Amino acid sequence: MSITTAAHDPSGPSGHLPSFAREARLRLAEWQLALPLSLAFAALFLAPLLLLVATSFFNDDKITQPGFASWAKFFGDPFNYKVIFDTLLLGLKTVCATVVVGYPLALVYMDLSPRLQKVLLFIIVMPMLLSVVVRTFAWIVVLGREGVVNQTLLWLGLISEPLRLLQTELGLVISLTQIEMPLMLLPLISVMSRLDPNLRDASAALGASRWRTLFTVIVPLSMPGLVAGCLLVFASSTTAFISQTVIGGVRLIYLPLLIWQQSLVVYNWPLAAVASLSLVVSVLTVIAALSYLGRRSSRHLHG
Amino acid sequence: MGRRQSFLDLSYSLVIGGIAILAVLIIVSPVVIALMISFTEGRSLKFPPTGFSFGWYEQLFDPTKSRQIHRAAGNSLEVAALSTLIGVVLATLAALGLARNRARAARVADNFFMSPLVLPGITFGLAALVYFSTLGFRPSLNLMIAGHLIVTMPFILRTTTASLSQLDPALLDSSQSLGASWFYTLRRVTLPLIFPGIAAGAFLAFMASIDNVPVSLFLSNARTDTLPIRMWGMMESTLDVRVAAVSGVLIAAAFVLMLIMEWTVGLTRRMRD
Amino acid sequence: MTVNRRTLLAGATALGGASFLPTIAHAKGQVVATTYPGTWEDAYRTVVAPMLKKKDNIDLELAPLFAMDQIGKAKAARGAPPFDVFVLDPGPRIVGLEGGLFEKFDAKKLGNLAKLPAGFTDDVGVHVSAQVVGIAYNPKKVPAPKGWADLLKDPWVSRLGITGFQTTFGTSSLIELSKLFGGSLTNVDPALVELKKVLPKIAAVGLPAAMPGLFQQGQCDVMYTNTQTVATLKGKGVDVEFVKPESGAITFFTTMHIAKGTGDLENAYKYLDLVISKDAQEALTKAPYNFLPVNKDVPLAPEMPMKSLDEMAGYVQHDWAKINPLRAAWIEKFNKEMAK
Repeated sequence: MSITTAAHDPSGPSGHLPSFAREARLRLAEWQLALPLSLAFAALFLAPLLLLVATSFFNDDKITQPGFASWAKFFGDPFNYKVIFDTLLLGLKTVCATVVVGYPLALVYMDLSPRLQKVLLFIIVMPMLLSVVVRTFAWIVVLGREGVVNQTLLWLGLISEPLRLLQTELGLVISLTQIEMPLMLLPLISVMSRLDPNLRDASAALGASRWRTLFTVIVPLSMPGLVAGCLLVFASSTTAFISQTVIGGVRLIYLPLLIWQQSLVVYNWPLAAVASLSLVVSVLTVIAALSYLGRRSSRHLHG
Repeated sequence: MGRRQSFLDLSYSLVIGGIAILAVLIIVSPVVIALMISFTEGRSLKFPPTGFSFGWYEQLFDPTKSRQIHRAAGNSLEVAALSTLIGVVLATLAALGLARNRARAARVADNFFMSPLVLPGITFGLAALVYFSTLGFRPSLNLMIAGHLIVTMPFILRTTTASLSQLDPALLDSSQSLGASWFYTLRRVTLPLIFPGIAAGAFLAFMASIDNVPVSLFLSNARTDTLPIRMWGMMESTLDVRVAAVSGVLIAAAFVLMLIMEWTVGLTRRMRD
Repeated sequence: MTVNRRTLLAGATALGGASFLPTIAHAKGQVVATTYPGTWEDAYRTVVAPMLKKKDNIDLELAPLFAMDQIGKAKAARGAPPFDVFVLDPGPRIVGLEGGLFEKFDAKKLGNLAKLPAGFTDDVGVHVSAQVVGIAYNPKKVPAPKGWADLLKDPWVSRLGITGFQTTFGTSSLIELSKLFGGSLTNVDPALVELKKVLPKIAAVGLPAAMPGLFQQGQCDVMYTNTQTVATLKGKGVDVEFVKPESGAITFFTTMHIAKGTGDLENAYKYLDLVISKDAQEALTKAPYNFLPVNKDVPLAPEMPMKSLDEMAGYVQHDWAKINPLRAAWIEKFNKEMAK
């Protein structure tokens, strides 16, 4: 309603109201610009999620009897705890791998000339724009029985039989490391490129080795970027359905596969809803814990 | 002491440099290998590829043999273009409304709009499926556009808000103190200045939509499947080298698009910041 | 402040515009039929789709889905089926019947009805092919296995690819395996126990659709599957042979049904009529598809393990009315037992 009144109000922002009143009116009007998006989100995001929560409180796949049976069934089964645990563990392993491999690359980035920085950034961002499906496919080619790794190892004589790399957690973590790497590197580089180069020089001048400088100066200061990267990688790898099914097969079961089977194969939506809400809660819990730790460590540093 | 120091520093360079080179290899090599495989003459994904031919690309571009792939690609483009377009309008409006609003409600709203980025995509996909079928909709491209809008819009909102926050408020104030109306300021000052931010966000949103699996997985059917869903199906069943050819096309397209975005709006810089 | 109203309007128009977009409606000459991923998809796309276009000017849209998934999707759609024609195996057929998912079938609308043996149509659908399930192996990598039990022994077990109960071929094979270890039609636990013992050795555990790909890429060299898949793999130059297990190969009819509430009833009948026609059946019988024909005028391919459909009586057939109630639990159990 206030939109129309504002539209016909001759004393708009360029009118003769006192500036604070003008300011207040402007605020109000500006705020309304977010209305369309809010409506879209209410109808297309909030409502579906609420309905999903509601669906989980039904006992049968025809969604007729309300009750807690689906929750009881899901959490009465120790297998599902294992799946949740494995899913979170997969996320943590991927986070560790991306940190170990990605962090040094971010360090090197800082030392490069602006021109090379641009090239490296391009290399890092490029796979991000490439479909996850394509990246996953690439790893089938690399890890397959007749793939690059096996052919190379056979040729070198290091193995006599091809190794099984697909359908193993190792293979999956390796693939996810590459697939999720940009999510780790971008926030890291973003924070690190704002670090004052003098800090490192000062540390070196004080006689600290580069290792010492790394762990006492650079790592603590880059903590916000590191934490952000970890969060993104964790969230993305725990829900990477395509990579998990194509590279992991059915031998490795994670929550997304369970959700997919329950919803689109068995069509038990209440149970699928319970599984997917468990995914949300467990992933968000870990994320909250990680960011709490991240905040604490940076407060500790500055405090 | 000095020797010890230089030894330490040497080990630093070796370890850090070594891992960094490994990282670049890990990032780049799968892409290069997938590209190489797509030119194989053979029928399997054996490495090294046997011979060199465009055979799989010919199959891929054959309008009858690969009709469904083409249609899936068309669906992907349509969904991505429209969801991005709507996303740009809604997100830019919202960013203008919220970016410089310090009220607590505005922060809450901002976080709310960003939440699809953290929420597991598969959960939202399932929720959307349950919601739309409860409302009685059949799977269609429109539903997919609605779903993609939610999960890709945050990219636009983020870059647009970032460019707005870098605007010098003095600039806007001076424009207004010179008597320019709010709308005039918006059109002549604000929008041109934040345009690169919007464009970068739109590009990211577009690519995220093209790439989206979790939402499409739940909202598509035979008529409306998108390219990633189709490729997933091919990877799960026949695993023929056409998948590599599609990958090749997508790699080339992403490369070209990225060069363009880099030249025009400085994409990588924006993603870094 | 007209700006607000105008920009809002623009936003609303953009939002509304989306809903005016051309919805992918049922085009005039179109039928959406499901097909099994892999061989069936290949065959129907290459053989049947062009024929249907030529004969009736109907575009055949194929949705690759396993039988169970079709039933699930149709049930979920609640009266607005996402496709017009089902292709099903005996088990899911019963589920569909019970769920009232099929349109009443009028066999007289099929011009080729006379070419079908008696009893190949009923008031819900029509038989379109028979399937034979057994063991496929790569002769270059492993010797020929004799029966189901060999799958659990070396050298086969370390090259074995297995899949669960989501499909008819998977379920039937696991039942047969189970029978050898004291199980029965309704008790597959022995098979799971035996598989669990050798699980670390098993080369691949995949989704059913993934099996041919895994075989083709050499991830596994032995698997249970149907004859059509073997024929298709052969057609791709893969080293593969089919073995009839000594306890007998499994056989069943595949049927097609029109989905209740379809908008394309006439097109669906035209499609079904074409599927059982001599031309289509003949083409599907040839390599690399090797479908078992139902049309009386079409002889079986020489590669087939049987000379005529009459021999089916000597093959293993399962009573799906007994299996169906247990299947969901089996699927879940397989998942749990076979996860690492």
